[in-house]
Amino acid sequence: MKNIVIQTLLILTVAFSTLNAEYSKPVKVPSITYPLEFDKNFRVIQRNCQWCHSFGYITNQGKQSQEFWRASVVKMRDVYKAPITKADEEAIVEYLFKHYGNGKLK
Amino acid sequence: MQRREFLKTSLVASTVLLGLPLGASQIRQPLDNYKISKYIFPEKNPLIAHSDRPPLLETPRSSFTSAITSNKDFFVRWHSPKIKTHTFISGYRIAISGEVNEPLYISLDSLKNDFEAVEITAVLQCGGNSRSAFVPTTSGIQWGSGAMGCAKWRGARLKEVLKKAGLKSDAKWINFNGSDEAAFYKAPRLIRELKIDEIDDNIIIAYEMNGEDLPYLNGYPVRLVIPGWYSDSWVKMLSEIRVTKDYRPLYYMDSAYTVPDNETESESHDKPAKKRKPITTVNTKSYIGFPTRDTKVKANENTTLKGVAFDGGSGIKEVLISADKGKTWEKSKLGKELSKFAFREFEYNFQPKHSGKLTLMAKAVNNLGEEQPFAHEVLWNKGGYKYNGIDSVTFEVVK
Repeated sequence: MKNIVIQTLLILTVAFSTLNAEYSKPVKVPSITYPLEFDKNFRVIQRNCQWCHSFGYITNQGKQSQEFWRASVVKMRDVYKAPITKADEEAIVEYLFKHYGNGKLK
Repeated sequence: MQRREFLKTSLVASTVLLGLPLGASQIRQPLDNYKISKYIFPEKNPLIAHSDRPPLLETPRSSFTSAITSNKDFFVRWHSPKIKTHTFISGYRIAISGEVNEPLYISLDSLKNDFEAVEITAVLQCGGNSRSAFVPTTSGIQWGSGAMGCAKWRGARLKEVLKKAGLKSDAKWINFNGSDEAAFYKAPRLIRELKIDEIDDNIIIAYEMNGEDLPYLNGYPVRLVIPGWYSDSWVKMLSEIRVTKDYRPLYYMDSAYTVPDNETESESHDKPAKKRKPITTVNTKSYIGFPTRDTKVKANENTTLKGVAFDGGSGIKEVLISADKGKTWEKSKLGKELSKFAFREFEYNFQPKHSGKLTLMAKAVNNLGEEQPFAHEVLWNKGGYKYNGIDSVTFEVVK
């Protein structure tokens, strides 16, 4: 019994040291804050969008029409499978068009 | 020292900021005012950071004076938020399965030692590079023109790797998948398929970029290199090659990364084309690296404009420069051709006569005689792909 324990420990030690030696390229991607406007719908943005991407994806798009933002939100749900409810969809589109809209519906 | 007569007319020309005729089409010069981020990503110089997760990094204009883009300046584009940050390298395998005689699990060591190492210098450009030129705005990242770079890639020929596995007689398609993962299991993977007859000797599985390991953010440890093709096909962190008999419908080949399958590859905003084809071969393009919009040039002194030009593999025949909105053009001096698929440097000496704003434009012509259109002549497609309008830089001339 004692032997087995020692053997196991030995194997683990060897395995662990190998891993340590061979894991390479320890990399850490910096975390950037892309500031968004704050309002009552901000929490809806927080809970739906960040599963897949940073807020940089939103600010990068520039000021766009309501139709543009609607299509983006629908794509996130239909293509990328983000679990966005109908109610949240409305809140997100309202938020994006209010703060990142160009004033045009289409 | 060359005195350019036509520069005398340039003061008038340059009063229009972008030096382009207005009206007709809504396609414009791509955005050129993105700021370099203060955040530094691993193995990278400070770049334009459109996103940290997934990382989207754009190379600033000033890097494009050289035929080789350094690994530290090279652009980055991932689709999925989950990118393995640690790799147990001796355990890394590329799995080759499907219609093969012998499924293989190739290690990095085997790729380096069991196959001939070949090198090719080639441009890697995102299909959506310069997308911000398109109006109406299309979906996708609104890149300026720095989602491209050129590197010397070293690796094993894909053909040889497939030969080792042995393709069965009914094998027709080769699927490539990387080890990055989407947030949601059911989201489409960025898998690309190549038809067997599309595979030539230039296609390699690269493990080196400019003489070093691939940077983590550029697909360490291995990526597919398809010279002449847009980067969506150059699968990063390549981990699976699957050989099939039939084409498998794929989001990233049937819907995303497609253009209309018509002669002009264009469509209107109200009437998107139904029949589409994957973007594949890169079109003719040039880009000025110096001067930039921040440059101040002295009047009555010699200055050398520098840039890079490329196409999908016929090679660059000439790059022309205009100082009068494209009415007249003069030849620039081309640098050495590193490969048909590489950036070709060009330079042009000029001596501005007056202080004020000056606009210079560059237009490349490839060996097939194809030349870049003016920005306003580029036709719209809903993905905002393949923009290759004539480049234009406006800078200040001071006394």
